[in-house]
Amino acid sequence: MSAVESKLCSLLLQEHYGEIVDRVGTFLIRTGNQPLRVIANETGTSLDQVKKALCVLIQHNLVTYQLNKRGFVEYKAHVDRFLRILRYPRYIYTAKTLYGDTGELIVEELLLNGKMTLSAAVKKVADRLTETMEDSKSMEYSEVSATFTHLADTHFVQRCPTVQEKDATEGRPPLAPTLQMNEKEMYIVPKLNMTGRGKRRRSSDDDDGGSQAKRPKKEAEDSQDDGVYWQVNTERFHQHFRDQAIISAVSNKMDQTSSEIVRTMLRMSEVTTSSSAAYTQPLSSNEIFRSLPTGYNISKQVLDQYLTLLADDPLEYVGRSGDSGGGMFVINLHKAVASLATATLESLVQERFGSRCARIFRLLLRKRHLEQKQVEDFAMVPAKEAKEMLYKMLSQNLVSLQEIPKTPDHAPSRTFYLYTVNTLPCARMLLQRCYKTVANLIERRQYDTKENKRLLEKSQRIEAIIASMQATGAEEGQLQEIEEMITAPERQQLESLKRNVNKLDASEIQVDETIFILESYINSTKTKAG
Amino acid sequence: MSEAKVKQEGGEAAEIENRVIELCQQFPHGITDQVIQNEMPHIEAKQRAMCINRLLATGQLDLLRSGAGLLYRLKDPQTAGKMKGSDNQEKLVYQIIEDADNKGIWSRDIRYKSNLPLTEINKILKNLESKKLIKAVKSVAASKKKVYMLYNLQPDRSVTGGAWYSDQDFESEFVEVLNQQCFKFLQTKAEAARDSKQNPMIQRNSSFASSHEVWKYICELGISKVELSMEDIETILNTLIYDGKVEMTIIAAKEGTVGSVDGQMKLYRGVNPITQPAGLVRTPCGLCPVFDDCHEGGEISPSNCIYMTDWLDF
Repeated sequence: MSAVESKLCSLLLQEHYGEIVDRVGTFLIRTGNQPLRVIANETGTSLDQVKKALCVLIQHNLVTYQLNKRGFVEYKAHVDRFLRILRYPRYIYTAKTLYGDTGELIVEELLLNGKMTLSAAVKKVADRLTETMEDSKSMEYSEVSATFTHLADTHFVQRCPTVQEKDATEGRPPLAPTLQMNEKEMYIVPKLNMTGRGKRRRSSDDDDGGSQAKRPKKEAEDSQDDGVYWQVNTERFHQHFRDQAIISAVSNKMDQTSSEIVRTMLRMSEVTTSSSAAYTQPLSSNEIFRSLPTGYNISKQVLDQYLTLLADDPLEYVGRSGDSGGGMFVINLHKAVASLATATLESLVQERFGSRCARIFRLLLRKRHLEQKQVEDFAMVPAKEAKEMLYKMLSQNLVSLQEIPKTPDHAPSRTFYLYTVNTLPCARMLLQRCYKTVANLIERRQYDTKENKRLLEKSQRIEAIIASMQATGAEEGQLQEIEEMITAPERQQLESLKRNVNKLDASEIQVDETIFILESYINSTKTKAG
Repeated sequence: MSEAKVKQEGGEAAEIENRVIELCQQFPHGITDQVIQNEMPHIEAKQRAMCINRLLATGQLDLLRSGAGLLYRLKDPQTAGKMKGSDNQEKLVYQIIEDADNKGIWSRDIRYKSNLPLTEINKILKNLESKKLIKAVKSVAASKKKVYMLYNLQPDRSVTGGAWYSDQDFESEFVEVLNQQCFKFLQTKAEAARDSKQNPMIQRNSSFASSHEVWKYICELGISKVELSMEDIETILNTLIYDGKVEMTIIAAKEGTVGSVDGQMKLYRGVNPITQPAGLVRTPCGLCPVFDDCHEGGEISPSNCIYMTDWLDF
C-alpha cells in the first residue's frame, strides 16, 4: 500500500461517494482494520454519519466487516476494489458490446447500486429503456430478465453471499452476521414470472401523487426474489479483458484469422478455466474446428496449418500439449500476460528514452546479463551514447547493475559489472507511476472544473431557463435572447473545457488499461510462486 | 702446429654454424639445445655454446624462451637487413612489437616488457617509425591510446572496430541507414507474402529471407563504400531483432547451399509489434521528467503543469 495508491483511492472516493465516505474510507486505508468507535473518534465524524458511510462502502463491496479475536467487529478496506472504480466505464462498455443496450444498463445499475435484487434491476432497466424509446413502445420485463439470465450464465454477474440461517436455539444474536456463498447457486437465476412493461415517468406526470402512493405497495408484491442480491463479477470481466488483450496481440502480430482461432479457443475454455490458471484446458484441433464461428469457412487443413504456426511462433502463446485428437492445444495465459507486460515496459522505454534505449532494453531482456562493452557491441551504439543511456535507465531503476567481484576485495578493476532488467520490480514501479498519473489527471480535471465553476453554473442556469421556457411555449425570439446571455468567448471557453475534460477522462481509462495489464502480470507471478 | 689447430678449429666452427643454420631452416618454429645435441653428438658443449653465441651476436639466430626451455630460431634475413645499424635496445623493442602481432601494443606495455625508461622507448619508437618498420594505430577502445605494430600488418578488428569505424569514430549514421535498409527489405518481403493470399504455411515461409539474401541486396544497393561481410550484415540484423522489428529462426540447410554456415541457415523476417503504445505513455505524465517532484500544492503540480496544458491544447 503506497502513498500514491491511497491518494488515488481518496480522490476516487471523493468523486464518487462524497466527502464523508472519503474521510472514512481513507482512514480505513491508512490505518488498517478498525472498529466503528475508533473510526468516529479519529475522523471527527459523528457516529451516525460514520455508520451511513460504512453502509455505502459495504453496499459497494469496498469494505467488509469481520469479527476481531478480542470480540468486537472491525471494518476492513479493500484497496484493490477501490481502484476498480476506475474500471467501471470499461465494464459497462464491455457489457454493451456483448449484450447490447440492455446489458449495458443492467451492469450500470448494478455498479451504481452495488447490490440489487433481480426484480429491482429488471424494473429499473426496463423503465430507463422505455424512456428512450418512441412514445408508443415500451420494454418488456421478460426481455430484460432474459438478458440478465445471459449475463448470469456467462458469469458476468453473480449472487452476493447471503446471511447464514441461524439456529434459534442460541440466546444472543452474534455480533456480526456471517455471510456465506453457495457455490452451486452462484450463477443460478431464480425463476421469476415477471410480466409487465417499463413505465414512462413523463406519462405519469399528471397523476404524480397517486403513483407515488402506489409504489411501496407494488414493491411489496414484487419481492418474490427478496434476499437474493446480485453484483457484478469483476473477476469475470477481467478475464474477458485479458482475453481481448491476448486476441488483439495475436491479431497485431500475425493476422486476423489466427486471432479468430485464438478467440475461439479462449471462448471454449472461458467457463472451464479458472481466471488465475496458467494454461487453458487442452483443446483438440477437431474441437476447435467445430467451434469456429460459422462465418469463417476455413478448411480443417488450413486450421491445422494455422495451429502449427501459432504453436511455432516465438510468441509462444499457443502450445502443443499432445497429439491425440488431431493435436491438443493450450493457450499459455501467464506467458501471454507476461509478454504483454513486457511490451508495456518496452513501450515506456521507447517513448521516454527513444528507440536506441529501447533497443538496449530489449537486448538486456533477451540476453539477461551483459557488460557495458557487450551492450555497445550487440546494440551497435557508440560507446559514449550507450554509457549515457545505460546510466539514465539505471538512475530511473529500469535496469539494474550486478557486481561480480573476481577477488574478495571488490576492487573496481577486478569486478564484472553486469547490467540486467528485472521485469517484476519494473512492472511494480510502473504500476505506481500509473496510479500517480491517474491521480494527477483527476486532480487536473477537478482543477479545470473548479476554475470554470462560475461559467459552468451560468450555462446550467441558462439551460434550465430555456428548458422551462420551451415547456411553457415561449417564442423563438425570446429563447434566442436568453441564449445570447452566454457570450461568444464564454462559449468558446466552455467548449474547450468540455474537450479538456473529455480528454482527461479518456486518458484515465487508457491508463487504466495499462494498470490492468501490469496488475494481471503481477498477480500471475504471485500465483506461480504460491 | 698450433696455428693449424686454430685453423682447424675455425673451419670446424664454421661447419657447425652452417649445420645449426640448416637445422633451423628445417624447423622454422625453432629448435632446442637438445636437438642440436642429438644431431651433433660428437661436439663438446663448450664448442656448441661458443658457436651459438657467435650466431646470436651476428644476428643470425634468435633466442626465445618457451615452456620447454630455450629455443633457437633463424632470424628473418629481411629483418636482419632492416635492423642493420640498430642497437640492441632497438632490436628488443622491435621484437616486443613484433610479438604483439596485429593487435598492437601500448607504449607503456613496451616499457614493462623491456624495462627501458619511457624517454628511451619514445626515442626508439620514433626512430623505428621513421624507418617505416612500425606504425602507430589509434585504438577504438580508447581514443587516446596509441598502439604500435609492424608496418606491414593489417590491424585487428578489435583495434579498428571493423567496418563500423572510420578513423576510430563509430559510424552510427551508417549503421542506422543499413538498419533501416535491411528492415525495409524484410518488410517488403513480408508484405508481399501477406498479399499473396496463399495458405498460411507458404505465406510464412515466403516471408523469411536468409542473411545471404539480405547481404546480396545491401551489396547491390551500393550504399556502402567498404566491403561488408555476411557477419557484418548479421550484426545489423541482430540490432533489428533487439528493435523488436524482426525475428530469426535457424534451419538446417544442406552443406553447400548458398548462405549456409556449418549446415545452418539463419532466416529473418519482419514482424509487427504486439501492442500499441501503452496507455500510460499517451499521457504527459508517462513521459514527464519531473514526475517525482510533482505534488498537488507544490511548485510543480498537476494544476499548473505546463506539459499538461500544452497537451490539452494540442
